[in-house]
Amino acid sequence: MSFITARHIGKTFNGKNNSDPTVAIGDLTLDIEEKEFIAIIGPSGCGKSTFLLMVAGLESATSGELAIEGKPVTGPDHQRAIVFQEFLLFPWKTVKGNIEFGPRINRVDKGICQTLSRDLIRLVGLEGFEECFPHELSGGMKQRVAIARALANKPKVLLMDEPFGALDALTRETMQLELQKIWQKAQCTVLFVTHSITEAIFLADRVVVMGSRPGFVKKILTIDLERPRSRKIHTSHTFRRYEQILKESIWEEEEDGSWERVPALEKRSA
Amino acid sequence: MNPALKTNNRHSHRTWRKFLSPILLILTWEITTRAGLVESWFLPGPFLVFKTLYGMTISGEVPYHTAISMGRAAAGYLAAAVLGIGLGLLIAWSILIEDFFDPLIELIRPLSSFALVPILFLWFGVGDTSKIILIFKSCFFPILLNTIAGIKGVDKKLIMAAKSLGANEGQLWIRVLIPSALPMIITGLRISTAMAMMSLVGVEMLSSDSGLGFLVIDAQRTFDTQRVFAGIIVLSVVGFTVDRVSRIIQSKALYWHTQTSLGGQ
Ligand SMILES: Nc1ncnc2c1ncn2[C@@H]1O[C@H](COP(=O)(O)OP(=O)(O)O)[C@@H](O)[C@H]1O
Ligand SMILES: [Mg+2]
Repeated sequence: MSFITARHIGKTFNGKNNSDPTVAIGDLTLDIEEKEFIAIIGPSGCGKSTFLLMVAGLESATSGELAIEGKPVTGPDHQRAIVFQEFLLFPWKTVKGNIEFGPRINRVDKGICQTLSRDLIRLVGLEGFEECFPHELSGGMKQRVAIARALANKPKVLLMDEPFGALDALTRETMQLELQKIWQKAQCTVLFVTHSITEAIFLADRVVVMGSRPGFVKKILTIDLERPRSRKIHTSHTFRRYEQILKESIWEEEEDGSWERVPALEKRSA
Repeated sequence: MNPALKTNNRHSHRTWRKFLSPILLILTWEITTRAGLVESWFLPGPFLVFKTLYGMTISGEVPYHTAISMGRAAAGYLAAAVLGIGLGLLIAWSILIEDFFDPLIELIRPLSSFALVPILFLWFGVGDTSKIILIFKSCFFPILLNTIAGIKGVDKKLIMAAKSLGANEGQLWIRVLIPSALPMIITGLRISTAMAMMSLVGVEMLSSDSGLGFLVIDAQRTFDTQRVFAGIIVLSVVGFTVDRVSRIIQSKALYWHTQTSLGGQ
């Protein structure tokens, strides 16, 4: 039995104001092992975010079964933390206050909270910024706070929805290295949605390629590269090979995918 | 170039420049009256007006009427703040409560506060009760609507983030929704201070034997133009002070609030 099991998951959104319902995910089956790093890539609108929210317990599946450690997911749980592209920090709280939010509301002892946040601030490299407010921080620093805040509950699962999508290329590369380090320390299972193929290969144990209309798992690629991985790995032969495989798998959809554009056109003319 | 990027030195120049137009106004005013261009019962000069104002302050008249006016304004305003925020939170919380109150709100809100004056005077007489209710009516809706909009406008993903961190319904309200909505709620509270001042003066002019509105209208009835102008100056100073104080409270309460409020770009 895998750590996370998704069996024939489907999700249909009821259309607002009598518009047609949207089938976001058709039939998705995926098994994830404990402490695995999974990257998910796929075209916009294929249901990546929806799937992540379902694992978080913030959306429910309309069909199929989703279970973690054999227990069905019924709602949000502090064991499953989520990090969004938009950071979404609490602007009225300091860096420290943001990080301690989870443990505090879960009634963890104040002293333990402080130790926790001190360790996390060191882990994400924000020493000296404890008392800063979010609007005083750069994008990369905000995302470090969001990651530390998510880790403060010691989650078993860390869900990340294009977490580095809003960062510039250089910051993004640094954050990838940091995340690898953080994940190795924090010992949790990560589901990481990204639009970048190289980011997916660099970070993941397995890359899941999703197809769209409606969403499904198209391909799963195991990344067999030694850890810890350094920047240099990008130029290795194996890395290039993985990149090639993933690109082909994504292009494939576009080529045999004239069907993919038809519904969009229909919608516009309607 | 963005004005915010200019140096501090320039900034202090700007502060001084802002005294220019009031000083020019007072000078022109004084010269006009001194030159005998207008008669003094029509427009007394600023020197005379300030002298009258000084006398009225020393005699205790201005402090007395100011205190009475501020008492009425505060009573109506505070009631509106408590009930406006309270009902606003309930409406934002439950769609049933919203649907129940919405028609009433839409019917009463656009009505001028002064349209209620005849009924209020009939029911409660011309005393303080009517005046306080009228001020309440003027302040209530901006506070109510800003509270509702503030709560409803909280980013859905911020709520998701809080829930995934383990927040239950109560914690979500106390620790996320209300703090997030605070900038809007405080804006409503600040708009309402101006509303309170406006309707206060109006209703005191209509019928009263005390308060700053009464002071001005009573002076007009006896053709004492100096006292009329003195009263208007007091009203202007009081209004300005209330606005400044509420701005300071706003910036203290929202020290964390900038345009980039959710920590996004
Ligand atoms: N709350 C919602 N209501 C209605 N439709 C939605 C909602 N969330 C997502 N969808 C639709 O479901 C599909 C998948 O969305 P999403 O999971 O956000 O895709 P991705 O993250 O892969 O870009 C899209 O067609 C989107 O329009
Ligand atoms: Mg998405």
